[in-house]
Amino acid sequence: MDVLSQLLGSGVAVGMIYAVIAFGYQLTFATSRTLNFGQGEALMLGALVGLSLVGHMNYWLMLPIVMLFGAVQGAVVERVAVRPAIKSKSEFGWIMATIALGIIFKNVAENIWGHDQLPFPSPVSQTPFTVLGVHMVPMQVMVIGGALLMMLAVELFNRRSIYGKAFVATASDLDAAGLMGINTNLVITFSYALSSMTAAFAGVLVAPITLAGAEMGAVLGLKAFAVAIIGGLNSGVGVIVGGLILGIAETTTAYYISTGYKDVPGLVLLLLVLAVKPAGLFGKTVIKKV
Amino acid sequence: MLAIKELYAGYGMVQVLHGISIEVPQGKVVTLIGSNGAGKTTTMRAVSGMIKPSAGRIVLAGRDITGKPSHKIAKAGLAHSPEGRRVFPTLSVTDNLRLGAYPRLTLGRPRGDVDGDLDKVFDLFPRLRERRDQLAGTLSGGEQQMLAMGRAIMLNPEVLLLDEPSMGLAPLLVEEVFRIIRALKERGVTMLLVEQFAAAALNVADYGYVLENGSIRCHGPAEKLKNDPAVRAAYLGQAH
Repeated sequence: MDVLSQLLGSGVAVGMIYAVIAFGYQLTFATSRTLNFGQGEALMLGALVGLSLVGHMNYWLMLPIVMLFGAVQGAVVERVAVRPAIKSKSEFGWIMATIALGIIFKNVAENIWGHDQLPFPSPVSQTPFTVLGVHMVPMQVMVIGGALLMMLAVELFNRRSIYGKAFVATASDLDAAGLMGINTNLVITFSYALSSMTAAFAGVLVAPITLAGAEMGAVLGLKAFAVAIIGGLNSGVGVIVGGLILGIAETTTAYYISTGYKDVPGLVLLLLVLAVKPAGLFGKTVIKKV
Repeated sequence: MLAIKELYAGYGMVQVLHGISIEVPQGKVVTLIGSNGAGKTTTMRAVSGMIKPSAGRIVLAGRDITGKPSHKIAKAGLAHSPEGRRVFPTLSVTDNLRLGAYPRLTLGRPRGDVDGDLDKVFDLFPRLRERRDQLAGTLSGGEQQMLAMGRAIMLNPEVLLLDEPSMGLAPLLVEEVFRIIRALKERGVTMLLVEQFAAAALNVADYGYVLENGSIRCHGPAEKLKNDPAVRAAYLGQAH
């Protein structure tokens, strides 16, 4: 029981990281029906930039700078890789373009920070503590809280501010949003900035647990993509549930079966969802009206 | 107020409009009638920037808006209530209306009294006031049409484009829509109206244009068009 509760604790923490990255996928999909396949690299860059900064300044000052960096990086991805593809009405151009940019970012990171996995300082104490019989490391709690807070902040922005409503309007009907005087191109750029900002934030959160390195983004980005598909690309609750399922499946499989198989249950679930409910567990199936 | 000059537009390789010219004077209601596929909606879309015209000029209140993106045209004072309503289903009625006033925002601060205008729209559409907190997607077709019109009015537009406001509505609601158009006309709102009910449209309009296969076939004061034998035969057939 003791072991299981610990597994659940770390599963939830990993799951929330997946959820917050998946949430980033949803943001750009909502406005432009495109995804940043370099999302994992945005996370990696956030973690490494954070690592370089944290040696020179307070952890809590570093966070907003990393987030700003992430936002700018995301805007660049949209302008360079996505906008031209949307403009030329290329159906799949953005897929290759975002992957290519992701690889470039990874190469640049390897040249700046090297190939090694680097330790990332934890802003909170390393001593585990017990809540409701579950042993947790404070950093895990921070990951869970930080991820939830980030998603909540974006949700509040969308519901409360007129600019958030302009974002929702663009997501639901691009042309009609344009008629309302909303600069929809700017909203799409903004969604990429927000998405990469979320990923950079997740990178800083997860780095003390996983170590930081140029390679860290690829696997996280892919798993978060699986979570977005499992949960549904248009469901906020979906990514949280999907993230938790994948996170817990991983930690328990790694302990009870073998670490070698830890990725299998989640990916089997992905295949099942794709076969049975392609819109995702919580996804709304959009019926295309002609 | 709105002048369309020698406008050519279409979709991809398909040319729909072949050099049409339309004038909408300030404070007047002008209607564009024609059969399905004549190019009425294409005209509206080209004016509001949803599609880029391939040639011609569109001037709104003295400013050339030809080929500008729709958000800039909206800011210049043109409101377009599009065919099929296109309300934002996941936002509330009030939020939809507030977004209608979005072009009046600069750096988060609105021009004029948006809350007051919201109240005026609710006076015009009491039904919307009752449902102000409901999601637009849960409204009936008629209510969504009211919302689409109300949303367009929230801009305080120089010119209001109404594309098929009565489409798919029950007869009673069609009457209601025309009552609203009349009320707007009394307030001096300049309108370009596209309607399938040509007779009703000519009753409310000051001036009319007949569009056929992407060209203007004839135009004139609404009274005159109503009594034109050719127009009567082709477009007012069901109007008894």
